[in-house]
Amino acid sequence: MELSFGWNDVFLVSPAIVLFLFSLLPVFLKVINGNKADSLFTSYGVSLIGLFVAAGFSVAVVFRQILEGGSQLAFSDALVMDGLSSFASLMVIVISIFALLLSRDSLALKGELFSEFCFLLLNAAVGMMVVAWSNDLILTFIGIEMMSLCLYIMIAMSHEPIFSKESAFKYFVLGSFASAILLYGMAFLYGATGSTYLPDISEMAAEMVLTHRIFIIGILFTLVGFVFKVAIVPFHAWTPDVYQGSPTSITAFMATGVKVVVFIALIRFMLTDFVLTPDSIISQVLQWLAVITMVVGNFVAIKQDNLKRMLAYSSISHSGYILVGLIAASLPGSQVEGVSAVLFYSLSYAVMTIGSFAVVALFEKQHDTQVNINDLKGLATSNPYVAFSLTAILISLAGIPPTIGFFGKFFVFSSAIKQGLYWITIWGVISSVVSVYYYLRPVVYMYMKEADFGQQSMLRDDAQSTKFTVFFASLFVIIAGLLSQLFYDLIGHSVMTLF
Amino acid sequence: MLLSLITFLPVVFALVILAVPEEKYVRPTAFVLGVGQFLLSLLVFKDYDPTTAALQLVEKTEWVRSAGINYFMGIDGISLWLVMLSTFLVPLIILGSWTAIDKKVKGFHVCLFLLQTTMIGTFLAMDAILFYVFFEASLIPMYYMVGIWGGARRIYASMKFFIYTMLGSVLMLVSIITLMGMTKQLTGQMSASLLDFYNLDIPFVAGTMFSTQSLLFFAFCIAFAIKVPLFPFHTWLPDAHVEAPTPGSVILAGVMLKMGTYGFVRMALPIFPEATEYWAWLFFSLGVIGIIYGALVAMVQPDIKKLVAYSSVSHMGYIILGIFAMNVQGISGGIYQMLNHGISTGALFFLVGMIYEKTHTRKIEDYGGLAPAAPLFTILFIIVTMSSIAVPMTNGFVGEFLILTGTFMANKAFAYVAVLGVILAAAYMLWMVKRVFFGAPGKVVNEFAEKNKSLDISKREFAVMAPLIVLIFWMGLFPNHFLSWSEVSINHLVKNKTSYQLQVLNSDQKSAVTAQTKSK
Repeated sequence: MELSFGWNDVFLVSPAIVLFLFSLLPVFLKVINGNKADSLFTSYGVSLIGLFVAAGFSVAVVFRQILEGGSQLAFSDALVMDGLSSFASLMVIVISIFALLLSRDSLALKGELFSEFCFLLLNAAVGMMVVAWSNDLILTFIGIEMMSLCLYIMIAMSHEPIFSKESAFKYFVLGSFASAILLYGMAFLYGATGSTYLPDISEMAAEMVLTHRIFIIGILFTLVGFVFKVAIVPFHAWTPDVYQGSPTSITAFMATGVKVVVFIALIRFMLTDFVLTPDSIISQVLQWLAVITMVVGNFVAIKQDNLKRMLAYSSISHSGYILVGLIAASLPGSQVEGVSAVLFYSLSYAVMTIGSFAVVALFEKQHDTQVNINDLKGLATSNPYVAFSLTAILISLAGIPPTIGFFGKFFVFSSAIKQGLYWITIWGVISSVVSVYYYLRPVVYMYMKEADFGQQSMLRDDAQSTKFTVFFASLFVIIAGLLSQLFYDLIGHSVMTLF
Repeated sequence: MLLSLITFLPVVFALVILAVPEEKYVRPTAFVLGVGQFLLSLLVFKDYDPTTAALQLVEKTEWVRSAGINYFMGIDGISLWLVMLSTFLVPLIILGSWTAIDKKVKGFHVCLFLLQTTMIGTFLAMDAILFYVFFEASLIPMYYMVGIWGGARRIYASMKFFIYTMLGSVLMLVSIITLMGMTKQLTGQMSASLLDFYNLDIPFVAGTMFSTQSLLFFAFCIAFAIKVPLFPFHTWLPDAHVEAPTPGSVILAGVMLKMGTYGFVRMALPIFPEATEYWAWLFFSLGVIGIIYGALVAMVQPDIKKLVAYSSVSHMGYIILGIFAMNVQGISGGIYQMLNHGISTGALFFLVGMIYEKTHTRKIEDYGGLAPAAPLFTILFIIVTMSSIAVPMTNGFVGEFLILTGTFMANKAFAYVAVLGVILAAAYMLWMVKRVFFGAPGKVVNEFAEKNKSLDISKREFAVMAPLIVLIFWMGLFPNHFLSWSEVSINHLVKNKTSYQLQVLNSDQKSAVTAQTKSK
């Protein structure tokens, strides 16, 4: 294979290059400054500028795609730049911006070593982009490792002594385990097809899945590796502990960023046509996984009193909903609807999750970062705006109209119904009714219970950018719900470049 | 524009209320706005043409184009009166809750107006998803209303109400999405419009539940049956009613339960004609069980409010009976009874709330001999009771008479049993009236006599009751003033029950129609 690349390739991946270069700046400035404790503002500002520049380049890439028409390949076809990639780049950038905003106020990070933190955050974002762009399983793996390694360190950087170390270690051990399984599966696929390049696999998949046993094992192991990363039951056990122990800003970052890009990688993997009918064994396995995930995630969340743990289980159940869309996306006949539904749901999920974790961050205290549902008591009286925002976000998470969460579920379920997958749809809607119980519990505490004596000053009032994030998310879930056509259209355009 | 204005003006009102600087101005502002909204809704009569069954004052804009979801509002004879009921009750509720709601006054009125928007929206939406959006969204303000201003077990009751109702409606959502897929097969264009749903020909096999039409039909029916509530899905209702504050009970009984029965008439019947006809016996049975069971349980209640709540279950059974009779008398009676129930049960909840506010007890055994102590209150209560047990000259009589006639024509056996319910209703209501108002003076009356305080109702409370009493007699004596507006729509529904279609009346046709009627 001849390795050659031109300026076009460089331009297509420019968002990642920009992010990488800007990630070096905070550390560089610190060294120039004589390795003194860096000013929070410099690192923060430089990283933010870097993210906005990268966003600009992503938009430029989108325009180029529109002009040239459809998808483009870069670096010997290893990276594919289509609508899906652009969607992913923009999502990753926006998620990183909000993660940065939240990190700035984070008590667990205390603003120390912030230049190193920014370096890791931006590089995690680069890794996420590579995962979403890659057209080759090996490159997917490299991207996953790149983002995961950055995340392990970011979690461990927390100054909170007990939970964060446990969390980082657990994430590291189980994450490596999952990576090993993923790699193992890829090795089987390579053994069966002689290639790790997705279009190559795609050519053979439809035939081999019927005849070649090694190929099926490879597919299943690879899927297990992927679903480990997005916390599908029964591969979810790490999620509650890791989400609870990590600094809240990083929880928000990984609960959204990692999930969105891994699901996009899964879309690319599933579109290689190895799933032929809803009755095939692989599809059956995925359907069961989706149902179990929705049910377990929602039922276990009922018993959680720690807000972050509750949101962790809720995020597990949302993975289940996205998986429903993904199953539809993998079947011939509903691919466009399925992929659009997955992307739309990812968008709504990302906004709701960032917003809800931002609210949690508002309640954290210097000495105690654990936030319980009791801390919410009487919030409606002491801080009506935050209470309203959290309500809007929770209602959206529960999928009650007219929020964006409702339309997310609507698109996912209608793509599944198009394939006649009634049974997962019915499990899905019933488990979403169950979820109403725990999503409304915080509302009960905020509006229907009075604060204990002296509890009034619980809310942090110094965290301006966190508050901004909360209000942005709550307005977005309502307004985007009413304007869901706009977002669905944008997503629809990017999906059309795939087919 | 008129329909959107009526629907969304309350949202604006809610914002206005939020902006009111001092709490003492909140109630007067809300009352004025509520009355204004009611007067505005009367404008519908000016443009509404009762001579056609077509959908009128239609507004249609794209909402989510790729899924065929439209913002599609329209009114016809079936929804007309329910919209009026929603706008009519809200100012009364504001006036009635003047002193009953004493905390978070602002929040209460915001909730009330938001609830009004969702209720009116539910009745006007002609797009299944838009309907679903309003139907579901109405749970949120009601949830707050019970949960914040309710009684001791308010959190349990509000949660039960929310989850129970939502369980039904998500199955309806699955069914709606399936129907949307069918419209795509039929016309090539996905659509959530009810008018397109009416055109669908859904495969039906008699004798099994597992044919497409029956399954979809039941998914809709469970959602509506929970909302109505139909026996055996009624268990959330007594909890919600007992814990809800008086205005919450009034709006719940007055309007929200009607969303269920309205759903039956608007969707279940015309979209699934064969299934409706085939499964009518089931709904007849459940309706009759509900009538008898609700009446028997009401009879033994020690709590007046709970008694009224169970009487609600019984009355809603009649409406179901009328609707599934599928003839003109039955459905007209059903629709008429929806209004009656909103007025008379609403009035009963108001009265119970008024006396509770003074005495802080709803136990029947605490009362007795109230009549001499509170003469005006007694007179009003007895008039409303007469309406509730369907004494001739009151509105209840017209509704129940039509329903029973309709049922008799459809299925005699059920009619015989249902008539028993009328007797039982008289028994439990009159027995309660006897124990509360007559006999030896009870604990409460003695207490008030000692303190020399009045138990009778105030001028404000009389002002709340007066319009309701007027309506009770007006609707009882001149039913045609009301029925004539929906007659054509109901006839159209019954005549074409197997091939129901609804035309949209646009402005050119309208002028043509009026010209025709004038030339006649």
